[in-house]
Amino acid sequence: MNAPLPGTRPQAANIPLQRARPEATGIRLEQVSKRFRGGVLAVDRVDLDVRPGEFVVLVGPSGCGKSTLLRMIAGLEAVSGGRIWLGDQDVTSRLPQERDVAMVFQSYALYPRMTVRRNLGFGLRMRHTGRPERNRRVAEVAEVLGLEHLLDRRPAALSGGQRQRVAMGRAIVREPKAFLMDEPLSNLDAKLRVSMRAQLSRLHQRLGTTTVYVTHDQVEAMTLGQRVAVLRDGVLQQCDTPQHLFRHPVNLFVAAFIGSPSMNFVAASVSGGAAHFADLRVPLPAGSSLATADRQVILGIRPTGFGVAESNGWPTLRAVPDVVEELGDERNLIIDINAPRVDTDATRAAVAARTADDALLLPEEKARFTVRVPGDHPVSIGEPLDLAVNPERLYFFDPETGQTLR
Amino acid sequence: MSTVTTPAGERAARTAAAPQPTRRARRHLIGTDTFFNGFSHVFLLVWAVLVVYPMVWAALSSFKDDAQIIREPLSLIPHSLHWDNFARAWTKGGLGSFFVNTVLVVGGGVFCTMLLGSMAAYVLARYEFFGNRFIYYTFLAGLPVPIYLAAVPLYVGTFKAPGQIADFFGRIPVVGSSIGSFIGPYLGPNSRVMLILVYVAWSLSFTVFFMHSFFRTLPTTIAEAALVDGASHSRLFFGVMLPMARPGLISIGIFNVIGQWNQWYLPYLLMQPSGGEEKKQVIAQGLINLSVNQGYKSDWSGMFAGITLAMLPVLVVYLVFQRQVQAGLTASITK
Repeated sequence: MNAPLPGTRPQAANIPLQRARPEATGIRLEQVSKRFRGGVLAVDRVDLDVRPGEFVVLVGPSGCGKSTLLRMIAGLEAVSGGRIWLGDQDVTSRLPQERDVAMVFQSYALYPRMTVRRNLGFGLRMRHTGRPERNRRVAEVAEVLGLEHLLDRRPAALSGGQRQRVAMGRAIVREPKAFLMDEPLSNLDAKLRVSMRAQLSRLHQRLGTTTVYVTHDQVEAMTLGQRVAVLRDGVLQQCDTPQHLFRHPVNLFVAAFIGSPSMNFVAASVSGGAAHFADLRVPLPAGSSLATADRQVILGIRPTGFGVAESNGWPTLRAVPDVVEELGDERNLIIDINAPRVDTDATRAAVAARTADDALLLPEEKARFTVRVPGDHPVSIGEPLDLAVNPERLYFFDPETGQTLR
Repeated sequence: MSTVTTPAGERAARTAAAPQPTRRARRHLIGTDTFFNGFSHVFLLVWAVLVVYPMVWAALSSFKDDAQIIREPLSLIPHSLHWDNFARAWTKGGLGSFFVNTVLVVGGGVFCTMLLGSMAAYVLARYEFFGNRFIYYTFLAGLPVPIYLAAVPLYVGTFKAPGQIADFFGRIPVVGSSIGSFIGPYLGPNSRVMLILVYVAWSLSFTVFFMHSFFRTLPTTIAEAALVDGASHSRLFFGVMLPMARPGLISIGIFNVIGQWNQWYLPYLLMQPSGGEEKKQVIAQGLINLSVNQGYKSDWSGMFAGITLAMLPVLVVYLVFQRQVQAGLTASITK
């Protein structure tokens, strides 16, 4: 398994790194639940331990409870069950004002009647910080974020990116115990989002403040988070490093949600030490627990789990590309597979949160695979080609429970 | 990234194939449109003349002398400017003291109405608690009640208040009677404080109704951001939410100023001296006195000058804040 990851963490090249602040505080959630009036269970017994100075991303499709969980940490939403700890303090029933956390909202939530300077200093003013100290910290943060020339403007006179930086500055200037960020980049255009992502990453390395970040964008989650927690229907599915999450998903939902393009699934059977699908026999990797099994499985292959057929001995699959997506260095091929499509709640939930091209693949009866091949390999629509399947990069899932079979 | 897609021209072809209105039908539509446009313009013009002409006539008549008013009642242009009419209305007509009383009562009334009304509206709009809807509907219930319906209870209550307050505080030993006799007159008839309280009660229904819907349009995340930033609920209200509600505050403020400035029935009913003290009349009462007194003296020019003076403050306030009033009224539509 040596395929490239969908994204890597940007390096903070020019900014001197600072060690994690000695007072950095961890966040611990113990069996935290939220039931709204009317009985909807938005968050179901979530256990999560965010270490001091760590950057954890909560990711999942819309309505999975990630924002509710963040708002409970902030104190904006009452907890229905369980406990929330900030460091060694139980803050479950404390007001937001008493928790010393800072939050960045999707809409930025800047105070429209205040200048940028007053927006930045508002939290300090509420905590009765003296004017000289306040001015010093506002100036310092404004310099770090490049906001010096905007200090006397009101939010209405700022661009989206500038507002986002002011919202970040308002959180940073207070030097809180933790940052809570609720999709802070989703209102920016794609290019600015990538640049702000890198800035955020650098800032975290510099400040070392514990951060919980909510997003529905798995690429953002993978590139920013030191650990990523995947949620579905209020239940924490898996919390792991991006690498581990990508390579060792615990179930079908995580496998389908993480990675872009998403993992390909097909109904298959395992017998005689090999997996069988679409008239293809793929030997199981050495040491697989399924070596002696004889059962039905859901088989998963990442788009990068294919190679162009060479003399490497991998089983080959003859396929005809329907669609070719040019990415420059690489190409995405969309091919039909002569095997039934996998349509479970888990794959539907994961794909519903994804891009339109994934959704496009759903209505077909047959499985459709997305395959990534090098850009220099000659491919054209309707022309058959042989694709080799890397046996080391197969994933197996239980068709009933969706759990990974190792 | 390039993807094989459906030809883009298809939509254009569909659009081209869609039935288009014929030239005759188009001409008919344009004609109907022009007719209604013209009709509405004529209607608005007539309406504007009906409203503006009497005001302009009264204002210009205040510069005429009595002889011209009698001889040429419909003329607009005065032969010469008689500024002395205003001086006479101010001094002999007693308009000066009416003005002071009105400014004090309307100032106090509007300030208290805005403060209490916006606070109540904010809490009712943004906080969920048991009885929230009941309290809100209780405020709303005051909207359709005509002031005449409250006349008898108000009259009786006001005239009985000093005695009841004296009785209540009289039970407290030593200082009770002094407190009672100090507070009583403020809440009895012919008292500005009493009139302010009555005005506040009268105006709160509409103020709460208006501000409630205004506060509901403001984004909740800003309030949440302030709470996370460490603001208390009162700080959040006065420091963040109230400044954001400024367009609404100005609109409802103007309505209250106009409504309370022009109020005649309540002061007429309640500003009556129970003893021999001086009657603290407001401008609306004063104008009636002026029309009667100056009418007996055939001082028509003095009367028109008084009317003009009474109109001016409200007119100036409206002209200055006109833009904000419109912004406040349309805020909930455009958000």
